[in-house]
Amino acid sequence: MVSQQSTRGKKNAFWVALAAPGILWLAILFIVPFYAVLSIAMGKLDQLIAAPVAVWNPLHWSSSGVIDVWRDIFGANSFAGPIVLRTIVYTAVASLLCLLIGYPAAYFVARFAGRRKSLFLVLLIAPFWISYMMRMLAWIDLLSTGGYVNKALGLVGISPVNWLSGNSATVVLGLVYGYIPYLIMVLYAGLDRIEPALLEAGRDLGLGRARTFWHVTLPLSRQAILTGLLITVLPMLGDYYTNQMLSGAASTSMIGNLIQGQLGTPGLESQGAVLSLMLLVVLLVPMIYYVIATNREAAT
Amino acid sequence: MPRRRFLKGGAGLTALAALGAAGAGTSLLAGCASDLTGSGTLPLPRPNNPVKWPVFAGNTAVKSGLAAEQGATLQIYIWEAYINQDVVNSFAKKYKCKAQITTFNTMNEALSKLRSGLTYDVLVGATPDVLGQLIEGKLAQPLNHSYIPNISQAWPDYTNPFYDAGWQYTVPYTIYTTGITWRKDKVDENPYAMKNPWAMPWQPKYSGRVAILDDYREGICLGLMKNGIFDLNTTDYKQIGLSRQSLQDLSSLVNLRISNTDYSDVPAGETWISSAWSGDMAAAESYMPKGVNVDVVGYWFPADGRGPVNNDTMAVLNGASNPVLAHLFLNYLLDLPNALNNISWNGYMQPLTGVTPQVLIKEQILPPSLTSTVVVPSNFRTGLFELQLPVDADALWQQAWLVVSNGI
Repeated sequence: MVSQQSTRGKKNAFWVALAAPGILWLAILFIVPFYAVLSIAMGKLDQLIAAPVAVWNPLHWSSSGVIDVWRDIFGANSFAGPIVLRTIVYTAVASLLCLLIGYPAAYFVARFAGRRKSLFLVLLIAPFWISYMMRMLAWIDLLSTGGYVNKALGLVGISPVNWLSGNSATVVLGLVYGYIPYLIMVLYAGLDRIEPALLEAGRDLGLGRARTFWHVTLPLSRQAILTGLLITVLPMLGDYYTNQMLSGAASTSMIGNLIQGQLGTPGLESQGAVLSLMLLVVLLVPMIYYVIATNREAAT
Repeated sequence: MPRRRFLKGGAGLTALAALGAAGAGTSLLAGCASDLTGSGTLPLPRPNNPVKWPVFAGNTAVKSGLAAEQGATLQIYIWEAYINQDVVNSFAKKYKCKAQITTFNTMNEALSKLRSGLTYDVLVGATPDVLGQLIEGKLAQPLNHSYIPNISQAWPDYTNPFYDAGWQYTVPYTIYTTGITWRKDKVDENPYAMKNPWAMPWQPKYSGRVAILDDYREGICLGLMKNGIFDLNTTDYKQIGLSRQSLQDLSSLVNLRISNTDYSDVPAGETWISSAWSGDMAAAESYMPKGVNVDVVGYWFPADGRGPVNNDTMAVLNGASNPVLAHLFLNYLLDLPNALNNISWNGYMQPLTGVTPQVLIKEQILPPSLTSTVVVPSNFRTGLFELQLPVDADALWQQAWLVVSNGI
């Protein structure tokens, strides 16, 4: 008995040790930078060059940056509210579009690709070979007045559209284009894991294709949908580059642009840091929900 | 008043919110040049208030008569894409050294890194509005003029510029104006014929085709000039508020684009009217689509020279490992052949007496249709410089711009 417990203890220690590099990596690349951002958010200002000075000792932290940002969003003279609302709307619409487009694509690859599954997977991953920045830059050319998109529209008699000047649809479509591969990959992984026998059972019990999908496939892919949406929504909420590249207009700016603006403005970096942390806190809500939902799913 | 205390309690935003109210009280921060101080104890240079910077103990110029450092690597700290690598390479070849370029994207980034202790030999691209910070922070060292005889090739004004009397710390790098660029084939109006050319962007018929520079000083200055205010260093919060409101109106009127890509967007025809730096538009020919002549691009700057003018400077940094080489580099860039080589790549002209519109056209650096981008010596005296602001006023400018640039 003692030797069994000792062996079990050694095995547990082994598995824990295997996790150690990952934990260390997480600590260095997440906890340390997070603390650095916190130290700037609660820090001081170098009066000479209006640059932020990180204060590492929490006992000396100042809450003035937090108060300023709170007022910007909720105060009597708040101005950041509309930007927050716009960001939420863009993200919601873009995420929905990602799901509506990505789900059929993932479903096809998982269920009907057959021998060409690997080929389709490679094609789905291909956008990742090019940096996000380059992909957005490519769209600038495609969407320009004389670009291929307008040329294609011209073939069907539609006048050139000014896609790149403050067009909300362009920003949303840019977000969809930028993040849909993540959703498709996650959905594919979830759909591919569904036992074909379960789908056959549904058919055997008299359900048609559509009802099998609705009553069997969709519920079983719920976790994958949740995971995929989380992976796309989280970065979308902080995205600034898509709007900057595909619009540049003040009327379509997102909260990421506000943070970027503050981080690039002498003296306002700490406010930018505070806004980043506030965004992080808001994003914790869906992440916690995801963890609870996953645990519940695993328990059943 | 420290900037934080001013902004705490939303004072800055409250002031901004009150700006729209008619008949607001006396300006919050009106002041005259002699009363103004920057972030430290040093005064703010103005054309009518030239400043001779102090030389601090422990930060004196390098001695005369020294040989250039041997086998050294000259560390150049400069704006991104702002110097011709060929010029740097030829300097390195001449002085048998290596030259390494490190770039920055914003002046604030540069100052923060220098203040954190990072050392380079030469800083290229500091505008006069940050010189006070550079000097008070002991980030730049005084120059030894004996190493820079080519200063004689620069415009005479630069041997005693108001922002650095006696050119103690800096030599000029580039000079440029800020004007209005437009596509002559897309826009009916000609700013040269307009009563208020600064108001040219405020035309709803060009909605979606109008842009302004993504720079808080240039942005707010445009709003000021549109309203007939030509104090581009104003501390009057009513004037700043008026500019902000005008820019917000512009944003609604034309779905304003805020970006620094005018140099490619205007030639490409994506933007038809934009505020622009002269150096960017001087290089417009490189960005014209096939079959489109550069003559369709126009650049306007006031004929009387009363518009934004600015110059970037070069300085030797305190703690430079190779101070003699650094001085020689400054001297090298003040030599006409090297300057012309640099301008041919950069687009931004350098204030040397040998750099004239005729030379630039003859050397095929500038198309004849864009001679309006050339800055002439008289512009130094008649032009309006965007200079360092007192801390509190700078805060108001920054906040106003934050509101405009985020479409609030």
